[in-house]
Amino acid sequence: MLQALEGVATQCVAKQDPAVTGHVWSVFLAPGQIVKAARKLCEAEYSLEDIFAMDFEEGFLVQYHFNRWTINERIVLRVLVSKDNPVVPSITSVFDGAEWHERETRDFHGVVFEGNPNLVPLLLAVEDKDLCPLCKTDKARKSIKDVLALGEVVSCSAEVEALFAEAEAEEASDA
Amino acid sequence: MSAYQNLEQMKGDFYTQKFEAGKQDGTLIINMGPQHPSTHGVLRIVIEVDGEYIVRAEPVLGYLHRMHEKMGETQTWGGFIPNMGRVDYGHAMAWNWAYVGAVEKLMGIEVPERAEYLRVIMTEFNRLTSHLLWWGAYILDLGAFTPIMYAFDDREMILDILQRPSASRLTYSNFRVGGLQMDFDDKCIELMKTFIPHFRARLPMYHDLVTENIILRRRVEDIGVIDQDMCRRYGCTGPVLRGAGVPYDVRKDEPYSIYDRFDFEIPTQDTCCSMGRYKVRLAEMEQSMRIIEQALEQLPSAEGGHIVDKAPKPAMKPPAGEAYFNVEGGRGKIGVYVVSDGGKVPYRIKLRAPGFSNLSAFAEAATGTLLADAVAILGSLDLIIPEIDR
Repeated sequence: MLQALEGVATQCVAKQDPAVTGHVWSVFLAPGQIVKAARKLCEAEYSLEDIFAMDFEEGFLVQYHFNRWTINERIVLRVLVSKDNPVVPSITSVFDGAEWHERETRDFHGVVFEGNPNLVPLLLAVEDKDLCPLCKTDKARKSIKDVLALGEVVSCSAEVEALFAEAEAEEASDA
Repeated sequence: MSAYQNLEQMKGDFYTQKFEAGKQDGTLIINMGPQHPSTHGVLRIVIEVDGEYIVRAEPVLGYLHRMHEKMGETQTWGGFIPNMGRVDYGHAMAWNWAYVGAVEKLMGIEVPERAEYLRVIMTEFNRLTSHLLWWGAYILDLGAFTPIMYAFDDREMILDILQRPSASRLTYSNFRVGGLQMDFDDKCIELMKTFIPHFRARLPMYHDLVTENIILRRRVEDIGVIDQDMCRRYGCTGPVLRGAGVPYDVRKDEPYSIYDRFDFEIPTQDTCCSMGRYKVRLAEMEQSMRIIEQALEQLPSAEGGHIVDKAPKPAMKPPAGEAYFNVEGGRGKIGVYVVSDGGKVPYRIKLRAPGFSNLSAFAEAATGTLLADAVAILGSLDLIIPEIDR
């Protein structure tokens, strides 16, 4: 079990095979829990690797990679936000380095990080700030279940299970 | 009244104006870069100085932004490999490796043993060129011209060696999904074997010439302190982290390829200052040579060819899924995260650049130091701007 995140209300915790995905744990969170989760990981001596978003039919999937210097145990925190209101609380109060990663994500996908002290364009020019260069066209956009796999589920809410539900049903029918 | 006062551009651009909003009384705001020589081309830093002391600093990025991540989503999986050589011209092969490693993970491809050895040897040689480039340029930033001549003399020899199996001298893109484009020829292996003793004899001269030089020591010792706590908060890796006393190296801590077969050490320094990072890099060159020597020795007994049989074509279609792969580059942990939807074109490629995180710690490290020290700190981070801007 993932002890570092004890006390954080997770939506889904799944174990993944690091030889296949590079992640040991995959955790879905509600946006409101991300700061608490980051603080817990900071206390457990994790460091932040990167923050980025992906464009899916269900919304923007914001991902945070964490790892430790001592034992390799990469955790990916996933926060799904709607496209109408893509807002995630900023974790800069815990990890200062998150500021730039969040600004980059804001540049590329338009996800707003509430509480980031300096949320201005980082890599894009100021006049291009609403360009959203990594947003997919309707044709190219895929559903989460067609691309990602959940892994070996430890605990999961119905909400996240529903995201992957159809894919699992298809697999079952194949078998 | 001066004629310039009415000019709109005298106000500065968006970033200067925003920075100026927090200005204290009696301080001056200056822009260092993007044309300043010590920022290596295209990094800009807005600095608020009180006399000679830095009160605040803010790097402004994006002058070399080329949107590699978008390019990745518009071309085939194989077609993206040349981009990796352009992301970081210093240690291009580590980026090559991180990308093809991620795709191999996604497709479940096992690389032949010989190809692993060739990759290790070339990447370690490339690490030497990366550190030599940094060493020469750093001392040049600090005002000494001669060392870069020595560094480029040795670097040139490595480039001559590496161009034989890779057909390029700077922006390498000879990695392929499943192996490498070409095998080494006999001449190449011979050149490699003669280079190691040559360079080993040169390294003490580097130390005599520069490391113990009192002018250098006064410029870099206790300057730009980045300790363990800062490293964790900013996500610094590589020599910056090892200069803070943490023996973290992806080659040891998350072993990939065949690095677990070699006997080498992870040099660290506890001083957390620019000198610590300097010493770590110089010590790493010796360790790279140790790895190369062992790999060259074991190479003849390695099985397989330079690339896997039936290697995927550039228009390959990896199965849907995600894969994160990281390697130790000259500047730290290089991570590539790829997502496939089962098509010919990647769904998402995320590049985690070590320089990006290392530079984000600069503002805090530079606060309270002299303006001249900012140059010493910037150089000690070993910045390659195309990697930071991507």
